[in-house]
Amino acid sequence: MANVKLVNLTKLYKRGSETIHALVDVSLDIEMGEFVSVVGRSGSGKTTMLDLMGLLLKPTSGSLIIDDVDTTKLGDRERARVRARKIGFVFQEYNLLSGLNVLENVMMPLRYTKDGKAGKQRAVELIERVGLSDRARHRPTELSGGQAQRVAIARSMINQPSLILLDEPTGAVDTETAQQLIDLLKRRNQEDKVTIVIVTHDLDIAGQGSRQIRLKDGRVLTDQKLLEGVPVA
Amino acid sequence: MEILRNILRHKLRSFLTISGIVIGVLALTTMGALAENFNALIDGGVTYFGGSVTVGPPDGEAASLLPLSKIDEIKRIPGVQAAFPSYGFSAKPGAVTTVSFGIPDQIVAGDPAENSWSALKTSYAQGGSISATSQGEVVLGSTIDKEFNKKIGDTLDLPVKPADAKPDFVNHTFKVVGILNPTRTAPDTFAYINTADGQMLLKDSLPSAIRDQIDVSQITEGIDVYGKAGSSISDLDKIANRINQQVSGVKATKPSTLVDSFKSGGAIFTAITTAAALLALIIGGLSVVNTMFMAVAERVREIGLKKAVGATTFNILGEFLIEATMIGLIGGLIGYGLGAAIVLYANATTPTGQSTLFLITVNLTILAIGFATVLGAVAGVLPAWRAARLDPVTALRNE
Repeated sequence: MANVKLVNLTKLYKRGSETIHALVDVSLDIEMGEFVSVVGRSGSGKTTMLDLMGLLLKPTSGSLIIDDVDTTKLGDRERARVRARKIGFVFQEYNLLSGLNVLENVMMPLRYTKDGKAGKQRAVELIERVGLSDRARHRPTELSGGQAQRVAIARSMINQPSLILLDEPTGAVDTETAQQLIDLLKRRNQEDKVTIVIVTHDLDIAGQGSRQIRLKDGRVLTDQKLLEGVPVA
Repeated sequence: MEILRNILRHKLRSFLTISGIVIGVLALTTMGALAENFNALIDGGVTYFGGSVTVGPPDGEAASLLPLSKIDEIKRIPGVQAAFPSYGFSAKPGAVTTVSFGIPDQIVAGDPAENSWSALKTSYAQGGSISATSQGEVVLGSTIDKEFNKKIGDTLDLPVKPADAKPDFVNHTFKVVGILNPTRTAPDTFAYINTADGQMLLKDSLPSAIRDQIDVSQITEGIDVYGKAGSSISDLDKIANRINQQVSGVKATKPSTLVDSFKSGGAIFTAITTAAALLALIIGGLSVVNTMFMAVAERVREIGLKKAVGATTFNILGEFLIEATMIGLIGGLIGYGLGAAIVLYANATTPTGQSTLFLITVNLTILAIGFATVLGAVAGVLPAWRAARLDPVTALRNE
C-alpha cells in the first residue's frame, strides 16, 4: 500500500519577474515502511519536495496523497490536522524550544492533538527508546548536538505518525553521532513500520536506506531500490 | 505554565511592560474609588431628591421663611399624600469651608414621621428615633457621631460653639437617642432633631431686630412634599407644577431638575477621573503591543515549528493572545492590589469625623482588573495575528 503518493507534483515560485521551477511534474509512490533518502545538489528541489510532503507548502499543481487522502484538496485546518496526526518532522537545527525541558519538548506536539495522558506515557517511553531517560528534565542548552537531535526524533514520533520527514538531520553532528542517529531511525523504521523520508547531502547516510531518489533541477533523475547500500536491479 | 515561562524569559522587559499596566490600573483604581465615593454621595442625593418635591420661598426672596399654613394648602393639591416642615442649620457655624468631597455637618429638623415617606432609608446602629414631642433629643449620622465620639445617652451642644464665638452665642444641649448606620451620603454628617427644636434654633438664628416679631411656631424654612408611595419623578414633577400654579408665595422645585443636576455633576467627575486613569492605562497597553511584537520577532522559528507539528493559525493566535492577556491580567491584579491598599490606607487614616474619600466597589474591581485584562488581549491581537499568519517554511528557516 502506498503511504505517500506524489502525482505530477509541481511547485513554482515567483522571484521578481523570474519563475523558479523548484519541483516539476514529480510522480512517486512511497510504500508504507520504506526508508527513502533524497539526494541532490543544492537547489535540486529536495527541501521543496520535503516541505510539500509535510504539507508546509501547497503545490502549484498535481496531487499529494497521504494514506489515501488527497491532501491538495484539504483546507488549512485539515492540513494542520494531518501534520499533527500523520507526519513527524526532524530538522537540521533540532528546533527544540529552549524554555522547555526534554520531556516537555517531546510532548509539545500533543497540545495540538489533545492526547495528554496517554501521550505523556508515550513521551517517557520514547525518551527511554532514544536513550535519554536520565536527561528528561534537562533543558536543550544542557544537551549535546546528538542528544538534541535524538530528542527531536522522539518528538517527531510522539503522535505515532505514519511518515517521518527529516531535513539534513545529521548536518550538525559529527560522523559517529550521525551514524548513531541513523541506526536509531532504522530501528524505529523496522520496529514501528513508519515510513521515513530523509533529505541529505551525505551519501553514506543516503546509502543506508531502502530506496534512494536523486533530484536534479526539480525533477527525479534516478529512483533506485537499495539492498545493503547497493542498487537493486 | 509555558506562557509564564515565556513572560519570564525576558524578565526586565516583562517587568517594564507589566509596570506600565500596573501604573495605569493603580491610577484607575484610586481615581475610580474617588469617583465611586463621589457617586455614592450623588446617588444619595438622587434618591432623596427623586422621592419628594422640595418647596421653598419664591425666587428672589432672601429669607427662607414660609408660613406653616402653606403645608395645609399644599396637602390639598391633587396627588399630594403628605407634606412636612423642614429646617436646616450649620452644625458648626463659623467653620471655614474648604474644598471637600463630603457634605458639611448640618442640623436637620423635621417631623420624625417623615422617615417613613423618605425614599432614602436609614437604619439605626444604636438607639432609635427622636420623639416628635419631647424636645432636646438628637439622632446622629455615623460620621458626625464619630467626630464627636458620642454614644447613646451622651449629650451634645448644638450648634457647636466656635472657639471665637461672641458672648451672645446661643446653643442648646441635646441628648443622643439614636446613631445611624453609615449611608455614604448626606445623613452621615447630619444631626436630626424634631420640629419644635428646629423652630427654637430658627429663632436663635434670626437677626435680633426681628427675632421677637416672628412667631417661629408658625414658620418653616422649607416643606418636603410626597406623592403616593412609588411615585415616579415625572409624577412628582407634575405635583411641583401644580403647587407652583395653585399655591402662592412658594416655589416648588421639580425633582427632575435636582436629579439631573446631581447626575450631570457626577458624570463630569466620573468622566474626568476615569479618562485620566484610562489614558495612563492605554499607554501601558501600547507597551504590551510593543512587547508582543518583539516576542513574535524572537520566536519566529518556534512558530514555524509549532505549525509544522500541527498547530493551526487559530492555535498560534490563541497562544500569543493568552500571553498578552496574561500580561494584562498580572498587571491588573498587581495594580488593583496596590491601588486598593493605598485607598484603604487613606480611608483608614482619614481624620475622625471627616468623610472618607474613597470607595472600593465590586464594579470598580471588575472594571480595573477586567479592563487591564481586555486591554492586554486587545494589545495582543495584532502581534498574535502576525505570528499566526507566518508562513511555516519561511519561519522554520528564519535565522
